Order: sequence, then structure tokens, then C-alpha cells
Amino acid sequence: MSPIQIILISGVVFITLYLYLRLRSNLIDAILIFLFFGGAIFFILFPDATTSIAQRLGVKRGVNLVFYVTILFLFFLILKLYSRIRKLEKKFTEIVRDKGIEKAEFLEKKQ
Amino acid sequence: MSEITSSIFVIVPCYNEATVIRDTVGRLLAKGYQVVVVDDASLDNTKDSLSGLAVYYIRHEVNLGQGAALQTGIEFALQAGAARLVTFDADGQHDVNDIALMMELLDKEKAGIVFGSRFLTGASANISLSRKIVLRSARLVNYFASGILLTDANNGLRVMTRDAALKMQITENRSTHSAQIQDMVRQNRISYAECPVNISYTDYSRRKGLKNIASIRILYEMILFKIFR
Repeated sequence: MSPIQIILISGVVFITLYLYLRLRSNLIDAILIFLFFGGAIFFILFPDATTSIAQRLGVKRGVNLVFYVTILFLFFLILKLYSRIRKLEKKFTEIVRDKGIEKAEFLEKKQ
Repeated sequence: MSEITSSIFVIVPCYNEATVIRDTVGRLLAKGYQVVVVDDASLDNTKDSLSGLAVYYIRHEVNLGQGAALQTGIEFALQAGAARLVTFDADGQHDVNDIALMMELLDKEKAGIVFGSRFLTGASANISLSRKIVLRSARLVNYFASGILLTDANNGLRVMTRDAALKMQITENRSTHSAQIQDMVRQNRISYAECPVNISYTDYSRRKGLKNIASIRILYEMILFKIFR
């Protein structure tokens, strides 16, 4: 086993444990985490497997395929995060607004 | 204070306008309008500079942007029983006399909202060429975002009826709100008209207002608005 495989595997093990400890509440999450774990370990141990998949899809090397898929995935994540931020901003705005209106004052002193 | 003007609420969103806000508000009060100042978490002494004036003062604890401040003012004015609502910039570039003309047009056209325009004939404004180019392009951008083509899409002076204001739900907190207002006008089939208004660019308003370069960021926000609304 090459050093990079050891580094990647320990990274995957760490992330999997972290996810499992946080999301162990339901079965589907556990299955998804296990699939992610199994898939990642498999491709780290047998990197050539990605190449055969890649060639079937018309990409020369497995590394390139992983690269393309990762870009798509990260872009998707950015969009998800952005829409989450917008939702939070909306709620935040409503809270600030309601508080402001609640505390509205009329500045002229009543005699 | 006359019966008619006392149910007209003028919403003045402001951010760090302490040096001019008292003057702007004073001119509105002189016409008998109800004034709602929405202080968008200014860092200066905006509130102190308004002390003693017969205005409603609302403060956002955190800076949210002009669109958010307008929506806050609209909601407050509606709760306070406003029959007509006006949006008015704090920096003193608008002419208070235009409000009455816009009210007339609102009645005459039976419109829900009247937009002020510095480009219609009859309006006077000493606009620089670069500013003109930016505003002319902004109007096209707003058209693509909202489906309504105004002659002056980024004018802060608007007059609307209570019914139209009830349909306003500005969620674009920053400068994209002008396009969103147009968008809501189209979606809710609110009838609209445009009225020539005077803009007096002062050194102060030039310095305080949006820089031309900011239009690039607004364009970006506009694209996000189209995608995520």
C-alpha cells in the first residue's frame, strides 16, 4: 500500500466516523454513509477501477473522470449553500424588521 | 395638517445621512405628510439629528440594505393605516413638490403605483453623461429581470395606493429591490404610470449615492435574483 492510500483511507475513516456520530439517528443515513465509505475505500485500493469506468464513458483516465464529477458535485453544493444562505437571510431580515417595528417611536415630544 | 395629506405616509430609508436627513424630513413635514424614517443601522447620530420632529422613527439593529428598509417602512405604514405610500430618498435629491403631481397622476390614471422618472420630458436633472449611460443600461437590465420597461428604473421616488402596497413583499434587501418592485407590479397586474420628477444632484448625493461601478455588483445580484427567487 502506497503512502497516499494510507493518508486517503485515514481521511475517509475519519469523515465516516464523524458523519456516523452526528447522523446515526436513522437507517437510511447509516446506509448512505456505509456506501460512501465502501465506495471510497474501494477506489482508493483499486484506482484502476475508475479508469475502466471512465473509458466506458469516453474519458481517458479515471483521475480525469473523478475530477469532472467532483467539479459538478462541488458546484451543486455551492448552489445548495447559496439558497440556504438566502433562506437564512430572509428569516434574519424578518426578525430585525419585526423588532424594529415593535420599537418604533414618534420623536415629537407630546406636550 | 389637512385631512388628505395626513393619511399619506412617506417612507424615507436612510443609512448614515445624519447631515441631511433633518432637512429632507423637514420639507416633507411642511407639506403635511406623515414621515416614517427607517434607519438601517446607521453609524452616525441619525436619531439625534431628528430629535423633536413629528416623525416615526424605526431602527434596524443590523444593516440590511435599502430594499429591506423600504419593506419595513411599508409594513409599518400599512399598520398605521396609510391610504397612500410614498418612497423618498433621504439624501435630498428629490423634490417634495413632485409628490402632489404624482398623486394627481395616480388618481387620473387610476393606477396602483406611479414611478418617478428623471428622463421623461418635463423633468429637470443635471446628470453626468456616465451616469446617464449607466442608468439607461440599468433600465434594460431591470426590464429583462422584471418584464416592465420604465424610463428610469432606479428612481427612488414612487407613490402607491394601499392596495398596491399590500402586495409588496420586497425580499431583495439590497439594490435589486427596484427590479423586484417592478416584478411584483407585473406579477400582481398592478397598473402603473410614470411621472416626470426633478432630481437635484448635489455634491453630497453624488458622493453618497451608488457609484457607477456598483452597477456591476447589482447586475450580479440581479442574475441571482432571477435564479433563486
